[in-house]
Amino acid sequence: MEFQAPAINIAIILPVVIVAGFGLVLMILDMLMEDELRGLGPWISLGGLVLAGLQTIALWLGGSYETFIPVGGHPMVVVDGYAHFFNMLFIITGILAILMSMPYLIKADIDEKAEYYMLLMFSISGMMLMGMANDLLLIFIGLELLSIPLYVMCGIARPREASEESAMKYFLLGAFASGFLVFGLALLYGATGSTALPVVVENFTAGGVIAYTGLAMQLVGLAFKVGAVPFHMWTPDVYEGAPTAVTAFMSVGAKVGGFAAMIRILAEAVPQESAPIWTTAIAIIAAATLILGNVVAISQTNIKRMLAYSSIAHGGYILMAVAALPFSGDAVSASLTYMLTYMFTNLGAFAVIMMVEKSGNRGVLLEDYKGLSKRNLGMALILAYFMFSLIGMPLTGGFIGKFVVFQAAIDANLIWLTIIGVVTAAVSAYYYLRVVFYMFMFDGQGDLEFSPAMMTATTVALVATLAIGFFPGLWLNLARTASLASQLLMAGG
Amino acid sequence: MANHHTSSNRLWILGLIPLAFAAYFFLQLEGVASGQFLQFSIPWVPDLNVNFSIYIDGLSLLMSLLVLGIGGLILIYASGYMAGNAKIGRFFFILIFFMIAMLGVVVSDNIFLLFIFWELTSISSFLLIGFSHESEKSQKSAQQALIVTGLGGLALMAGLIMLGYIGGSWELSELLAQGQFLDGHPAFPAVITLIFLGAFTKSAQFPFHFWLPNAMAAPTPVSAYLHSATMVKAGVYLLARLYPIFGGSDTWFFTLVIIGGITGMLGGWLAWQQKDLKRIMAYTTISALGILVFLLGVGQKIGTEAAVLFLFVHSLYKGALFMIAGSVDHETGTRDVTILGGLRGKMPLTMVAVTLATLSMAGVPPLVGFVGKEVIYEATVENVDYRVWLTAVAFVMNFFNVAAAAAILYMPFIRSQPADTQLELDHTHEAPWTMWIGPLSLGILATLSFFFVGSELFSGQLIQGATEAVYGKPAEIKLYALPPALTIVPILSIFTIVGGIIFFAVQGRLIKAARAADAAVSRFGPESGYFAGFDGLLAGAASITLFVQNGKLRRYVLYVVVSFILFVGLPLFLNFGALSWRLSPPPLLYELIVSAVIILATLMVTFARSRLAAVAALGVVGYGIAILFLYFNAPDLAMTQFSVETFTVILFVLVLYRLPAFKAITSPAGRLRDVIIAVLAGGFMAMLVLLVTAVPQSQHVIDYYAQSSYPLAKGQNVVNVILVDFRGFDTLVEISVLGVAAVGVYALIRRGVIRGLSRGERGES
Amino acid sequence: MNLLLAVVVGTLYGAGIFMVLRRSIVKLILGLGLLGHATNLLIFSTSEVVRDAPPLIKTGETSLEGVFASPLPQALVLTAIVIGLASTAFAIVLMKRAYAIMGTDDVDVMVTTEGS
Repeated sequence: MEFQAPAINIAIILPVVIVAGFGLVLMILDMLMEDELRGLGPWISLGGLVLAGLQTIALWLGGSYETFIPVGGHPMVVVDGYAHFFNMLFIITGILAILMSMPYLIKADIDEKAEYYMLLMFSISGMMLMGMANDLLLIFIGLELLSIPLYVMCGIARPREASEESAMKYFLLGAFASGFLVFGLALLYGATGSTALPVVVENFTAGGVIAYTGLAMQLVGLAFKVGAVPFHMWTPDVYEGAPTAVTAFMSVGAKVGGFAAMIRILAEAVPQESAPIWTTAIAIIAAATLILGNVVAISQTNIKRMLAYSSIAHGGYILMAVAALPFSGDAVSASLTYMLTYMFTNLGAFAVIMMVEKSGNRGVLLEDYKGLSKRNLGMALILAYFMFSLIGMPLTGGFIGKFVVFQAAIDANLIWLTIIGVVTAAVSAYYYLRVVFYMFMFDGQGDLEFSPAMMTATTVALVATLAIGFFPGLWLNLARTASLASQLLMAGG
Repeated sequence: MANHHTSSNRLWILGLIPLAFAAYFFLQLEGVASGQFLQFSIPWVPDLNVNFSIYIDGLSLLMSLLVLGIGGLILIYASGYMAGNAKIGRFFFILIFFMIAMLGVVVSDNIFLLFIFWELTSISSFLLIGFSHESEKSQKSAQQALIVTGLGGLALMAGLIMLGYIGGSWELSELLAQGQFLDGHPAFPAVITLIFLGAFTKSAQFPFHFWLPNAMAAPTPVSAYLHSATMVKAGVYLLARLYPIFGGSDTWFFTLVIIGGITGMLGGWLAWQQKDLKRIMAYTTISALGILVFLLGVGQKIGTEAAVLFLFVHSLYKGALFMIAGSVDHETGTRDVTILGGLRGKMPLTMVAVTLATLSMAGVPPLVGFVGKEVIYEATVENVDYRVWLTAVAFVMNFFNVAAAAAILYMPFIRSQPADTQLELDHTHEAPWTMWIGPLSLGILATLSFFFVGSELFSGQLIQGATEAVYGKPAEIKLYALPPALTIVPILSIFTIVGGIIFFAVQGRLIKAARAADAAVSRFGPESGYFAGFDGLLAGAASITLFVQNGKLRRYVLYVVVSFILFVGLPLFLNFGALSWRLSPPPLLYELIVSAVIILATLMVTFARSRLAAVAALGVVGYGIAILFLYFNAPDLAMTQFSVETFTVILFVLVLYRLPAFKAITSPAGRLRDVIIAVLAGGFMAMLVLLVTAVPQSQHVIDYYAQSSYPLAKGQNVVNVILVDFRGFDTLVEISVLGVAAVGVYALIRRGVIRGLSRGERGES
Repeated sequence: MNLLLAVVVGTLYGAGIFMVLRRSIVKLILGLGLLGHATNLLIFSTSEVVRDAPPLIKTGETSLEGVFASPLPQALVLTAIVIGLASTAFAIVLMKRAYAIMGTDDVDVMVTTEGS
């Protein structure tokens, strides 16, 4: 009797298992423990993330490029350089989000601490799956695992209309997104006979119109998650209504997660010959996203809302790199670099914003930044630096991100899109600099409260943004290595 | 305050540092002029071929000397001018920061490095203009200056990057060595336009000139340094730097001559009408920048030589004059020339300085300004094709400068104070030494330069070195203090001076009419354009926001469905003919009945008046589908569907129990629109089902499961085997999802929704 | 047969979309329920429906032979049903809470974060 031993290498999926496992531990603690011990939640989560991070680094340094194949069939999970890179992004996002949440939850009077961190951990594990998944169904489930905790976290504040409303909007539109993803999955399955990306790509052309329609629906579903126009509508309302720590977390995590899966699908599940069709669609969406996000951000008076539109716009820049995927060998690493810089800059900006925010959802208007430089020059300068990085000024991480993305777009001969990118970046200077104007040029009562955890998060983000801005070589190399150590390089070079 | 006072008085020592550096640079002059350029480079981002590289040739050296030399004097001056100001430390910090950035601009070899320093100068200018942020005016001016120059900077970067791409290097020195490599390239117009945009905004060329007078809201040392002697020259510097690549093309000549000419004449025209000493100087600065651009446009050896010389001349006298304006303001409390007067006796040293500076400005010997003016006329006269036009424009520009110089010297200083003013000047005295040393030194330097203008050091090294760097070829320069022969050039000079003085004498009678004319024109001027464009952008953004983002969930859903139909449905319909259809055998009777029940129940959910009926109908739909699953050989699905549906219905009934009855709140038109959209979407999905079933199935994967289930997993129920073995990982994650959702439900319920708030109490908001 | 399924799926989608465009939040959630059903049926119908041949390996055999209902879509639908359950349960509670806090079931009134 033949028995084939399952080729399971648990070690390679250990990071995600650790994160989810710590989530589980928190769940149990929450049920069993006394209130005092619940305060350990953030520390346990941090511990889990650090552990997962170390394991990821160990795997990465080990040069591991492996697939996780439960039993026969096709790999459901691919743990390549690309996945390692995203795992690190999500782990760092999680660590910074936790650091920011610790003081913020107290300020915002949110007492569901253990639950909160548990949800955060599960959401991170969902994000990590998005980077590793090699199967449409797993991408769908990963997206749910990423999203459902976020729905809850949006509404976790003490009953408050804005928070409630944002949770509901996020959930309902998120349910739509999942719906599209499943339609797409069903159609791609129908057209190609499989949900495994390597099989989908083989049978894609034979699937004809149905395969394209399925792909389009998958993209629509992911476009929701990354906030691409015209599926961005939830973003401003949700960002404004959710507790700011959650906004910060999802403005990076959910978006990057969506892109992780989107790039994997486009690079692996779609044959090269269909590139002209989908890249045109993505380029148009990118242009619409850039224009709408940057123009509408101008008229915002609430800083959270402004950053919501800004995050839509940043999605547009990443989409530029996505549109260049089949034509530029550097497109994958460009998008990775962009997401890396966006993560640090955006989280850093949110950390300062949370210090300015007052309890009761006050202190979130641009007005509240007037005169901040007088009371706190250092923090005003730091926020100004993050704003410069969001614009993409040289000597900031943001510049490097924009540079490589534009370069990839030019490589791919998307000149018109590059021009739109440059022009909208110039427009964006206005609304980012307005924050700087308010801080430095006006008199007012702008002030902020320090806390050690928030300062730590700010410092990490600042140092990283500076490091990328001043010594980009190292980071570019990292992104390039990550993209090379995967099967994603679809372009000729 | 006493502490501040004493400590700030010692801040002048800081001024010695840049002066020492200036001296060091000065010592390098001989070597650089003989072609031994200073170079320094360390790799920065090797992947992108970006280096931290510095390259100092004659032009860079001249600019560095101006930046450091005038910078040192300005620091000394500022220690007196800002004495007692509580923020003086911060002021000095930003000023020195600017100095380093400006130095960076003129010595950078790498395009990115240049751009970084370029934007840093804009930022420090922004901080300095808004230094006295109390006034709304300075806030607006700071914003305006930053937006205009910042956007120009982005254009410049785009242009330089394109240039670098085409030239295959990020180093200016390597690009310049290739000469006019861009001629005939299809990207030439784009590159040159972007670079012009950057240079023109920075150097306040028409139509972007309006930011500069507004920037005079900055403290006077800043106006003297940034907005006259150095930063505004960055645009000119850049054009001069790129002369070897673009110079000589028609685009270059006509654009620069026309824009520079307009700027030069417009600045002069506006200058003489001003009452504020600083505004007079601001407009003459615009005029001078126009002259510089004009001269670079004229080009050739003599044009570049004239530009280099005038750059030097202007920096000396205008730096001095701004400092003097500040001293006057400092000692009298006003800069209004119509009420000032009689300062010659009260501020004797300043009087000497202002005399030297204005004479240089007017181009009167024995000051180097005279030589500058001579060379300008030489350049226009030497042009073969457009001699008359160019000379006429240069004459107008110079002529206004003479008139303005006369006004600056005569009105506050030489004449007696007008009797009918309220201004009390009896106790006015000389400014502290820190404030007269700078202008006086610059005035003396301008005089010395005149006498040594023909020396090897001045014309052979300083001016020739810079000219060769601009011109890109060896150029023998010989300057003369006084014209060696009486040609048309010195005659023009004399006419300019005499004409300017006569104009000054009669200008009082013209001023009213001129101001009225300006007011009428300025409504259509570029500054109105800036504000209109700005307001338009804001208003446009606001209205787009209201349209796309009104906060209503339903609207969002509508957008999504409509975009979906457009983006996904429409292409399908357009390819209708190419689609393949295949109908499978007709359904059996009981399948038909179950389907009919599902459809009826669906309609009932949609149109039911009572919530309970709708929920019940939804349950029927679910059970109906479960029965279909059962018919079509999916027993596991059927069982799951049955239990899930039961659970859902129970949950609905429990939770929805207290909600209000449905009301018909949508307008009939809205309902009609929704029905149309729903029918379209539904029809589209139905079509998709037909299409999907028409695709021949790839059996490969299914066969694998069919063959391997039993041997590998010992399971007879293949669906179960897939779930728990082949796709066990999926299922594990799926269970996590379920668990998380359960926790979410629990979290929401725990916070008193069901208990405390269920009677419709409103939470705190 | 696929025509019938298409009609059922189309009706479910149409009705579901009509419902999610209503102002009452209860209708909205009922609409999501309909859409969920529609999706499950859509996935199910991606492979040919077969009568009287469940994907069960008969005792004594080691593989599925002959004509059998495709097992993979069934597995997919099972996943979708379970995730759908999670969503629906969550939606119901979320909606209840929103109603309790905001005092209305009209989604058009829930616009506190409306653009500025």
